[in-house]
Amino acid sequence: MARALLPLALVGAFLIVAPPFLDLGWQNALINILIASLFALAFNLLAGQAGLLSFGHAAYFGVGAFAALHLMARIEDGLGFPTPLLPLAGAAAGLLIGLVAGFFATMRSGVYFALVTLAIAELFHSLAPHWQGVFGGEAGLSSMRMPWGGLIFGSLIEVYYLTLAWVALSILLLWGLTRTPFGRLALALRDNEQRVRFLGYNAHITKVIIFAISAMFSGVAGALQAISNETANYVLFASGVSAQVVLYTFVGGATIFFGPVVGAVIFTLFAYLVSDLTRSWLLYQGLIFVLVMLYAPNGLGGLIHQHLRHRGQLDWSRLARPYAQATLGSLLVAAAAIFLIETLAVVFSRDYAVARRDAGGGFPAYEVFGLNWTPLSPVPWLLPLALFAAGLWLILQARHPIGTLWQRVRAGSEPDVNPS
Amino acid sequence: MTEALLELNGIAKSFGSISVLQEVNLDVRSRERHAVIGPNGAGKSTLFNLISGMFAPTSGTIRLQERPIGGLPPHVINRAGLARSFQITSNFRRLSVFENLRLGVLARHGIRYGLFRPVSRMRAVNEETAELLSIVGLERRAHDMAGDLTYSEQRALEIGMTLTTRASVILLDEPTAGMSRDETDQTVELIRKVTTDKTLLMIEHDMSVVFSLCDRVSVLVYGSILATDTPPAISANAEVQKAYLGEETAT
Amino acid sequence: MEFYLISTLNGVIYGLLLFMVSAGLTLIFGMMGVLNFAHASFYMLGAYVAYAVSSAAGFWVGLLVAPAFVGIVGMLVERFLLRRVHAFGHAHELLLTFGLALIVEEAVKLVFGDFPVNYQMADTLRFAAFTVYGTDYPFYRVFMGIVAIVMFVALWLLLSRTRIGIVVRAAERLPQMAEALGHNIPVVFTSVFGAGAALAGLAGAVAGAFYPTNPNMALELGVIVFVVVVVGGLGSLQGSLLASLLIGLFSSFAVGIDWSAADLLALVGLGDWARTMGGLMTMQVSSISATIPFALMLLVLLVRPAGLMGERG
Repeated sequence: MARALLPLALVGAFLIVAPPFLDLGWQNALINILIASLFALAFNLLAGQAGLLSFGHAAYFGVGAFAALHLMARIEDGLGFPTPLLPLAGAAAGLLIGLVAGFFATMRSGVYFALVTLAIAELFHSLAPHWQGVFGGEAGLSSMRMPWGGLIFGSLIEVYYLTLAWVALSILLLWGLTRTPFGRLALALRDNEQRVRFLGYNAHITKVIIFAISAMFSGVAGALQAISNETANYVLFASGVSAQVVLYTFVGGATIFFGPVVGAVIFTLFAYLVSDLTRSWLLYQGLIFVLVMLYAPNGLGGLIHQHLRHRGQLDWSRLARPYAQATLGSLLVAAAAIFLIETLAVVFSRDYAVARRDAGGGFPAYEVFGLNWTPLSPVPWLLPLALFAAGLWLILQARHPIGTLWQRVRAGSEPDVNPS
Repeated sequence: MTEALLELNGIAKSFGSISVLQEVNLDVRSRERHAVIGPNGAGKSTLFNLISGMFAPTSGTIRLQERPIGGLPPHVINRAGLARSFQITSNFRRLSVFENLRLGVLARHGIRYGLFRPVSRMRAVNEETAELLSIVGLERRAHDMAGDLTYSEQRALEIGMTLTTRASVILLDEPTAGMSRDETDQTVELIRKVTTDKTLLMIEHDMSVVFSLCDRVSVLVYGSILATDTPPAISANAEVQKAYLGEETAT
Repeated sequence: MEFYLISTLNGVIYGLLLFMVSAGLTLIFGMMGVLNFAHASFYMLGAYVAYAVSSAAGFWVGLLVAPAFVGIVGMLVERFLLRRVHAFGHAHELLLTFGLALIVEEAVKLVFGDFPVNYQMADTLRFAAFTVYGTDYPFYRVFMGIVAIVMFVALWLLLSRTRIGIVVRAAERLPQMAEALGHNIPVVFTSVFGAGAALAGLAGAVAGAFYPTNPNMALELGVIVFVVVVVGGLGSLQGSLLASLLIGLFSSFAVGIDWSAADLLALVGLGDWARTMGGLMTMQVSSISATIPFALMLLVLLVRPAGLMGERG
């Protein structure tokens, strides 16, 4: 526990001290990263800790956002409610809707549970654009942040610190929850619901409470987004939003507490850095997700955790070379894939179709990564192929030694946890 | 008739068109150790499932201390004072042994949905859990994950978990299944120790266990109770012998 | 009267289209317990492949190639991706299909662009089937219905009358038993998954020439297909057909219905009160026509999860 505190303290220090010196784009990105992390942690309370996979969590994020906006509108009209406490509206809305939705959803389990949560989110998504009063119809709601307590809340950096405070508080509470009897109960529920019942616990009520708490913190995240953007509309209820939080959580790792944060940071950062460089960034996101699902079922966070847990037993000197090989190999494969995808993106683009027409139906040169290529020459196709082959070869070389070294660790100590 | 703590009257259970239990009448007296034996497929586990609330009887009544419990959900029956173990080990693989036991202890203390205090600070609960841990002999494994225990350690944990809720009626489902002679003897002593002031109903196949532990035995054959008597009387019972021998000649 | 007739025709045909897509999904779930989030992506893939092929070799070739291509993709997905993740549990299988849906959608945008494409039906099919109240009813709609019906009959015959069908049904009930009897269950699973994908691909190839073929297709249809399989009963082919027709007809009619809850309450004299309440009370059925299927789906999930014709548990 104490070992974990140092990196946490460093991150915390960075988050507190650095932002005023960063440009607006980065400040905004950090706000989004914080909100995404909170949403993912809230989601994981249900998914990773209690084992209930929800595919409609956008519903609670969304109601939190709208609740905050309604309160903001009241404050604009003169209500003396402190602006910094706005996320409470999101918490309250999330909790309330979560209780009702959770009561019904947890009547079912597994796939059926997932479908109920999906249906609930779609209910909101399809209803909101037609409900002017509550959701502002298709245009949605907008409201300004009002000054309070000497702070104007007009600048991004103020919004950042507000977000940071609430996210930090929420993470603290969620962490504390895992230490309470209820938190242990949630874990037990994930492992063996039946036994929990026979020990005298009402499993349904337990699940409803977990659902409600998860929805509450999702509502806080939604409220923070509404405060930051000063607007929200029915699009917040879309399946894409629910999908994103699932992606973050499972790429990061659902089985450890900070796993979802890892995923949220990676993807939000990725979106911020890469979305300007290429139109295919969502494709990359999907590919990363599928690769993690296939080869690191406990997520990247789980992978890190595994290494930390066994760091005393791993033969690092022997691992260094195959790990370096595997990393280099992966980089080559990634480079090949990126090159190929970017090439295809250019070759299939409308601009290129126009260029072809202008060239009388031929295949003119195009530009990728600042260099010119022609589609008819074998080079732009052989290059990714070569990179891919080289990368794959390296990975396969490294596979066996890595496998054997881990085998030894497993045989020598307690077996690792089965994923999922 | 001496007071029956647990009483089954006319219990029948069918799954669709398959009738598993026909007309089961059983009474378990307060503080007695009572075994249920019978050939495989007779319906013993189904009986336990009915009593402990996994599903409801198709007909008939089950009374625990005069209170009807047939068809009630498992957690209600547990809180009414009845706890059961499972034939196939059913614990929380990814939690430590200590936590496995503590969960039941928390329930008994009524701290079920405790949201506000860290569990590490609950002294009484932790002490009670430690005590239980030593009773079942798993102190050395306190912080290992339940999924990593050996088979007989898991069975000991299974019994321990059944005891955590301080129920007065304990149902043990084949507690010595798959054990060696030594392990069986140890388990028998454990069961004897922990059920001194409780009422025990157990499913068993091992007659030596039944003989050394139990006051009375009921024989369940193809869905109904053939006979209920002391172990010596049952083993001398001709009909019982026929039921078992008949089974053997068939296989 | 015209409204009723046309709505019924359109509703039935839309329902049959829904059935073509949901049939595969419900079969796959019934057999493998996997809810394939990427199923609607197979539908979209079918439309786009048909478009690509038909641009070079004509509509009919496209119609043949698309389902075959999508079917092969489906088999590869099952064999190399799903099976790998199977050991990690149902949640991971769900998640994988989820990720696949994302990839397919983005890949389609990559190759074909983030806008609709001009996938055209064959000219030979471009005529009026009959005239209804002065309006020509396009034959292509009828064509879609015919393809769906032929597909249903073929499926039903295959499953109930042939050896393959018996093996598939056995594998669904008791996979281990079927395997013990010597049937290659993994191959059966791969084939069923591929067949389901091919069906969705066929639906896409057929529908894409009539409805707009765009990268949003999968998302638009995807959620409705889930409603259909839930209401019909996960695993039941007949249930899927029934639910598809139900939803198809409802969607078709609802668009023209302008009643609201307030109108209904007006019948008992509470109309004015309802209108002052506003909000949900004054929303017209036509506006919330998209919401009602989800409400139905919720109702079914909570009250009778087996759906109309599924089996309990």
